[in-house]
Amino acid sequence: MAPYALLFLVAAAIPIGYALWISLQKAPTLVNPQSGFGGIDAYVTAVTDFRFFDTFINIFTVMIVWLPLMIIGIVGLALLVHASPGRFGESMRFIYFLPGALAGIANFVLWVYLLNPSISPIAFLWQGSVLSNLKEVVTAENLPLILTAMLFFQGVGTWIVIVYGGLNGIAEEVFEAAKIDGANAWQLAWRIKLPLIRPWIGYAALMNLAYGFQLFLEPYLLRQISSGSIEGEWAPTQLGYAFAFTNRNFPAAAAMSIILLVITLAIGMFIVFRSGLFGEEEKSK
Amino acid sequence: MSTRVPSPQVVGRVSRVTVMLVVAAMFVLPIVGFIAMAFRDQENVAAGTDGFLGLGGLSWDHVVFSWSQIAGFGPAGGGLFQRWILNSLLLAVTGGVLALVAALPAGYALARLRFRWRRIWLFATLLAMVMPNTVLVIPLFLEVNAIGAVGQLWPVAVIMGFFPFGVYLSYIHFMTTMPPELVEAARIDGLGEYAIFFRIGLPISKQAIALVAFFSFVANWTNFFLPLALLTSNQQNKTISIGIQELIGASPLFNATVAAGLDVKLYMPQLALATVISMLPLLAVFIGAQRFLVRGQTVGAVKG
Repeated sequence: MAPYALLFLVAAAIPIGYALWISLQKAPTLVNPQSGFGGIDAYVTAVTDFRFFDTFINIFTVMIVWLPLMIIGIVGLALLVHASPGRFGESMRFIYFLPGALAGIANFVLWVYLLNPSISPIAFLWQGSVLSNLKEVVTAENLPLILTAMLFFQGVGTWIVIVYGGLNGIAEEVFEAAKIDGANAWQLAWRIKLPLIRPWIGYAALMNLAYGFQLFLEPYLLRQISSGSIEGEWAPTQLGYAFAFTNRNFPAAAAMSIILLVITLAIGMFIVFRSGLFGEEEKSK
Repeated sequence: MSTRVPSPQVVGRVSRVTVMLVVAAMFVLPIVGFIAMAFRDQENVAAGTDGFLGLGGLSWDHVVFSWSQIAGFGPAGGGLFQRWILNSLLLAVTGGVLALVAALPAGYALARLRFRWRRIWLFATLLAMVMPNTVLVIPLFLEVNAIGAVGQLWPVAVIMGFFPFGVYLSYIHFMTTMPPELVEAARIDGLGEYAIFFRIGLPISKQAIALVAFFSFVANWTNFFLPLALLTSNQQNKTISIGIQELIGASPLFNATVAAGLDVKLYMPQLALATVISMLPLLAVFIGAQRFLVRGQTVGAVKG
């Protein structure tokens, strides 16, 4: 236990505590380089920053498009795979998982290629429009759609495997009984499988929701290739990053991370308590 | 005789297979096109002459040329790319080893020992596991900054060693493979707690070791925000994930000013090749761990 406890302290507990402490300090200024106790000053700075609410609105606009699509995609494809026994289903499941292996930056470079109208194999999807080069595609208006596509592509495979695992956990007898009662494949999926995997769907939705709040890599890098048409502080994490690295205002950066931390902690607690992760122990005792 | 109407079952099966194949094509074709890009030549890419997915313009000579460009990136004759790959390997392996050293005993303790605050530790671990790790990056940066170690590799390795998912995996592993009766019997035979862990627990943990090592390696290799915050200030100590970002930033496609000052030209084929090379270590550990992954799928499935 000891090594882990040590790492836990160094990599989680101390930084959180330290950030909390920093966030209660005053930001040193040129006039007054001495920092000191500032109460909630830093939080006021963070929340009243003109970009603060925009960053959350940005995240929500992405989530409105992305989350429902993601859930429908995950559940739909998992059900299809589950309805296809044997080689075909297995190989499809493997193929859906493939893009998930291109994590992070690799997925991003892949999308740089896909989004560029002059070289992309999927450019026909927006052939009708007047977009002719990358800069016209990667704009602030298109960002929610682009992010949706990127995140869907990267994330859906892993979750199909997880929900598929949930489907496999259902006892065969349930399906047998339903078939005897005359259920066809469609009814089986809609009436039997879907309700039974509801906990998994909820788990997937919450995990992806928490993931959405900490989006950083994609908007950060998209800005780099958009020649500046996307704001540098598009997502909340980017705003925190800007506080720390552009403004050198560590208290505000700390306050920003504490705000995000509280949000994700709340979602996290909800997951841990509701998903039965924590309860599993009771069963196996 | 009336014409035969296909039965609903047949219609259903055909549409199911069709939908699945279309989706599969949507997933595979971009990747094929991207890998093909690494084997193509910039002139043909710009002219769009290589045919479907660019498959008509593949050549090993192009790879050799692109590699000379990538390897030549950096001050004084280049070599930064190789350096970044080495940094990533070093961090991913050290972080992985630390994660193993911490996770296995912790998982065992949580599963089979009774001590104070055990449930709180378990709860904190689960919480840390489901939370996205990027929310902690700024606090971690402040911490490392406070001790003046920004730009150095070792703090990143230590932070990567904190891998709650690994603890959870080992916890589940010891829960399922080491029944309490076994531990009891060993105690009665006079074995100490450490001896039980090292002589009984560890030898049956090949599977858990492989899984923890694999997931931790992948997470460390692809980590972006942490090295970005902690290592950007030191170009020699960057990892490959943020290194590729620098390559993108130095491409004439996106930043003509920076690119004009460089000896090497990084167009899409070069960027694609750099990305493909950066994925090879992941491919290697994936193939190495595959045997264990298939069996551990149900446990591994909990992590998002």
